[in-house]
Amino acid sequence: MTQAEAERPTINLLDHAILLVVVLAIALIGNFVGPDIPILDALPGMFILYVITMVGLVVTKYAPFYLPSVAWISLVAILVTLPWIPGQEWLGGHLEKVDFLALATPVLAYAGLAITRNEVDTFARSGWKIVVVALLVFLGSYVSSAAVAQAVLTLQGEI
Amino acid sequence: MSNVFRKLATEWKLHLVVVVLVVVSELIYIREIPLGPGIILLLPLLYAFILGGLLNPNVIRRSVGGLVRSREVRAASPYIVIAVMPLIAKFGTLVGPSMKTIIEAGPALILQELGNVGTVLFAFPVAVFLLRMGREVIGAAHSIAREPNVALISDKYGLSSKEGTGVMGVYITGTLFGTIFFAIIASLVGSLNLLHPYALGMACGIGSASMMAACTGALANIFPQMEDQIVAFAGASNILTYGNGLYISLFVTIPICEFLYRRFGREEPEPASTTEGGAAR
Repeated sequence: MTQAEAERPTINLLDHAILLVVVLAIALIGNFVGPDIPILDALPGMFILYVITMVGLVVTKYAPFYLPSVAWISLVAILVTLPWIPGQEWLGGHLEKVDFLALATPVLAYAGLAITRNEVDTFARSGWKIVVVALLVFLGSYVSSAAVAQAVLTLQGEI
Repeated sequence: MSNVFRKLATEWKLHLVVVVLVVVSELIYIREIPLGPGIILLLPLLYAFILGGLLNPNVIRRSVGGLVRSREVRAASPYIVIAVMPLIAKFGTLVGPSMKTIIEAGPALILQELGNVGTVLFAFPVAVFLLRMGREVIGAAHSIAREPNVALISDKYGLSSKEGTGVMGVYITGTLFGTIFFAIIASLVGSLNLLHPYALGMACGIGSASMMAACTGALANIFPQMEDQIVAFAGASNILTYGNGLYISLFVTIPICEFLYRRFGREEPEPASTTEGGAAR
């Protein structure tokens, strides 16, 4: 569709290997402070997430066709935890010690610090009407997606 | 090898600030605010974003002691992408074990993407009849405007067009307030107990990874006994959105918006008038 999709960005695996340690270390601290999970208990789970992410990045770099890294990382994470895969229960036991909200906190801290002047200006220029529509769009998407899901799940007898 | 360490050495202040933001946010932890019949859940990720914004000189000109300067702001952006990777991995590891349930719920997961049509039906009438908005509405009301939708509108109309102004406005609003908004909507709708937690979980997947985290985090606190399924459904729905969200926009919601605009939109005065959004790109 767009050019960005066709072009494969170059990934420096070594840089990622080190920078990921930094963000995971910060998440490890947050995982202790908020959800109150001792650092040593969470360490294996963090390491597993590290390995999954790195494998996903290696695949992104060398796969014969291009998919964004987040797609490959998801795929690797799903594959290794499928119920039919030996060892997935052991993985799950360790991964349980890493709270997903604790992983999201550093993302949003970086995001708040990364807001650009350009974004603030564009927002200011967009005008209040678009902001009102944006809020309706978010509310509408959420409620109608949930309503469709509810209807289909009910028809299927799943709920 | 030494390059990345040199990079880190120049960025230590940024990471130190992030550590402090994370520790403060996690100390406050999860708070509930009762609101009418429902509740609003405040999550650490929200405080981290707001505090980060307050320290950001682009947001508040005289931010606290000039601690964060434009050098830190520029350095921060690539770390959003890096920090989101383990979060995506974590969501994936919650999808895997529930694969059987997810396949059983497959039709709901796929059809739920059509919820985007509801987006148009919600936002379009207000935009056109109440706010008297012009063709901006086609960009603004066709989807929740994440990166693929912006790329699509850019391709079709150009970003400096009115449609482009519309999609960028929603995109920026989502970037700045989407996470907060998702946490509020999910906790309110969730605590009203009108819809099943599975359905609410699936709907959490329609946005970005941080919106999904905020949304599922709120639901998981309201329905702790169903946390695993909620997160698994959200993760699966998010992956499907990557896959087919673009096509729903291209073949369903943009044509619907175009059709509705031709029927109900106001006549465009020839060379575009200077509306308040006209200068934005």
